[in-house]
Amino acid sequence: MRRSLALGAAVLLALGGCSVGSNTGGNGGDQEITFLTFETPNLTPAYWDAAIKRVTDKNPGIKVKKLVAPTADGRTSYAKQLLQSGQFPDVLIAVDSAGFAEAGNLYAWTPEELKDFQFPDANPVKGKYYQLPANTQTIPPIYYNKKMFADAGITTTPKTWAELEADADKLEEKGFPPFAIGGGKDGFPSSMILSGLVSTEVYTKVPDWLTQRRRDKVKFADPAFQTAFSKLADLAAKGYVDKTNVSRDYAATEQAFLDGKSAMYPMGNWFAANADTKKHDFEVGVFNFPTEDGKLVVPAYTGGGMIVNAKAAHLDAAKKFALGFQLDKDQLDASVKADGLFPAIKGYTPPGDVGPTFKAGYDLYTQAVQQNAVVHAFRWETADDGLLPGMKDKVDQAAQDVITGRKSVADACAFLDTEWAKAG
Amino acid sequence: MGEGGLTHLAAVASPPAPPKTRRIPASGRRRKPILPRVWHFASFGAPGVLVYLCFVMAPILISFGYSLTNYNPFNPPVKFVGFDNYRLLFTDEQFLTALKVTTVLTLIVVIVPNVLGLGVALLLDRKGRLYNALRSVFFTPVILSSVVVSIVWSRLLDDRGPLDSLLRALGIEHPPGWLSDPDIALYSVASIVSWQMLGFCVVVYLAGLQGVPSELLEAAEIDGAGPLRRFRAVTWPLLAPSLTINTVVLLISAFKTYDYVKVITNGGPGSGATATIAFNVLQTGFDSNHVGYASAMAVLMLVVVAVVTTVVLNFLRRREVDL
Repeated sequence: MRRSLALGAAVLLALGGCSVGSNTGGNGGDQEITFLTFETPNLTPAYWDAAIKRVTDKNPGIKVKKLVAPTADGRTSYAKQLLQSGQFPDVLIAVDSAGFAEAGNLYAWTPEELKDFQFPDANPVKGKYYQLPANTQTIPPIYYNKKMFADAGITTTPKTWAELEADADKLEEKGFPPFAIGGGKDGFPSSMILSGLVSTEVYTKVPDWLTQRRRDKVKFADPAFQTAFSKLADLAAKGYVDKTNVSRDYAATEQAFLDGKSAMYPMGNWFAANADTKKHDFEVGVFNFPTEDGKLVVPAYTGGGMIVNAKAAHLDAAKKFALGFQLDKDQLDASVKADGLFPAIKGYTPPGDVGPTFKAGYDLYTQAVQQNAVVHAFRWETADDGLLPGMKDKVDQAAQDVITGRKSVADACAFLDTEWAKAG
Repeated sequence: MGEGGLTHLAAVASPPAPPKTRRIPASGRRRKPILPRVWHFASFGAPGVLVYLCFVMAPILISFGYSLTNYNPFNPPVKFVGFDNYRLLFTDEQFLTALKVTTVLTLIVVIVPNVLGLGVALLLDRKGRLYNALRSVFFTPVILSSVVVSIVWSRLLDDRGPLDSLLRALGIEHPPGWLSDPDIALYSVASIVSWQMLGFCVVVYLAGLQGVPSELLEAAEIDGAGPLRRFRAVTWPLLAPSLTINTVVLLISAFKTYDYVKVITNGGPGSGATATIAFNVLQTGFDSNHVGYASAMAVLMLVVVAVVTTVVLNFLRRREVDL
């Protein structure tokens, strides 16, 4: 009996020793923090390791334990799982703050801490700011194959929707599939065109459309949203968007464009990094998503930065690491080159040796900022002005339903309203 | 010899009665005390019972508890809603679609590997190195990770993948959208699951075939029965236990299909073309944060699986008894 008790005690001690979250740090006075990252073809393990080292070298008292989300697209879901199992990391990057913030899990940054950021009031959650507004992403500009455009006799890039359709027609006639889209296990490449359409058509009239959707003042089934959505349906009906492409995952979609399988690729500006570094035998150009009347409108999302666990064992170390990571010039330069990001830091200018595709996209964005022509990027917002949790997938599904002809635009919009009601 | 001597003899002839302690059982071994025996069995059973209680019963009970609430970890407080979640399920188009998808997938995954597995097992039920090698070939997919299988097949079935390239080379300009056509994608996923489970069925049927007594088959042959008749009258009835095992295992595997759907199609194309109930449970619970509602789905799925499995098992077992 005594032996059994001893065994039980040993098991309990062992379990106690294995528990997560002790975070006492290993080396002397080091304060250990956990940091959740994700990996993509751009953001490799080496990128993250170098980035962490850069910050910890400048802050020797901080030790960082890197965690990696199992999938890039599912990092927010993974963070939720970690939270529910009592393993919420101390610092997380590019994870939506919505939900976590309202439940009191995130540290709210002070205006003083946000003073170096260009858009400190991006992504408010009930008036507070939880995610560092670290960078801006334009979503989506349209990347194009200059050779195909030239071969189809297209000399200038389209500014209006009618011009885009006319160009798509010319490309199709020449035997070049106009648009590269994707889907499969990564839904977002299938809804990129829808994002552009809603941002440029709906948000120009109602800039806080999603905030109003949360108040039930507007609906997906409203004519404005349906009109924008129907343009995607038209492209699919004409065969400019190939419905068989919805089985392609993100990596395969990008590769298809780089392999010259399609003439245009609507994608976030992060694609520029790969366009400038990956092998392809044509020149990549980029133009702003066209609008109905040709007026300049650039959909963009500012955020994507770090959030910090309000209950972190070493909260000060976590905050210091997050700010150090997001404001370090060398790290910002590295993120520009690796992921094509536009750092939203006051006074920052990208390094002179960036690639031509990045530079072209950055110039388009800078002009839009100067002309005050930036709107939110539909589907990519993450705070009070964003979609309800779980709705991003539904938007991707609705886009796929319309592309494959499984649903009419009206049915797809009704589906979104039904799902919104369930998600609320 | 005096009286004393007789007394002594009598004493020798009838030994003194044993002391009144415990009775010795007929076997000659002492009966063990009841309490240590309970302890003995408890020490054997406790780990299993503990695991069962902690990892099976407790989660089921907790899930059932959650299913009666609006629990959303990101939107406190938790409120008791009774059976509202269950009522909502029966009007939820997404859930009803998932129910349909799961039913179709289950039917395919139960029938196809069973039928093909039996055929392959009959072909491989011979001696020789080649047959041993072929058995390994058929069994290999079973030991692969379902995620690896899903990735490989999604590459093969991609619109620009090798299969479609081959079909185009053969002159089929527009091959089917294996994973992109909402009317085909579910059958593609079901085929991939069936492909992986085929080896399992083959092995179980092969084991069953090797248990068929050769005398019975020879007797049937002497009686003039042809191969088909011998299979129908002798082999097939004796394979009943193999059929039971395969059917029940496939049934349960198919009902909880999540990994293939997540990796290959993420529930699409579009809204729910391949989304199973298990997939919906995870999506609703972790992406939309509606743990209460997702728990109701999970509990309902558990009930459906339990009922269907019990019915099928009883039906197949009765068939075994009737032999």
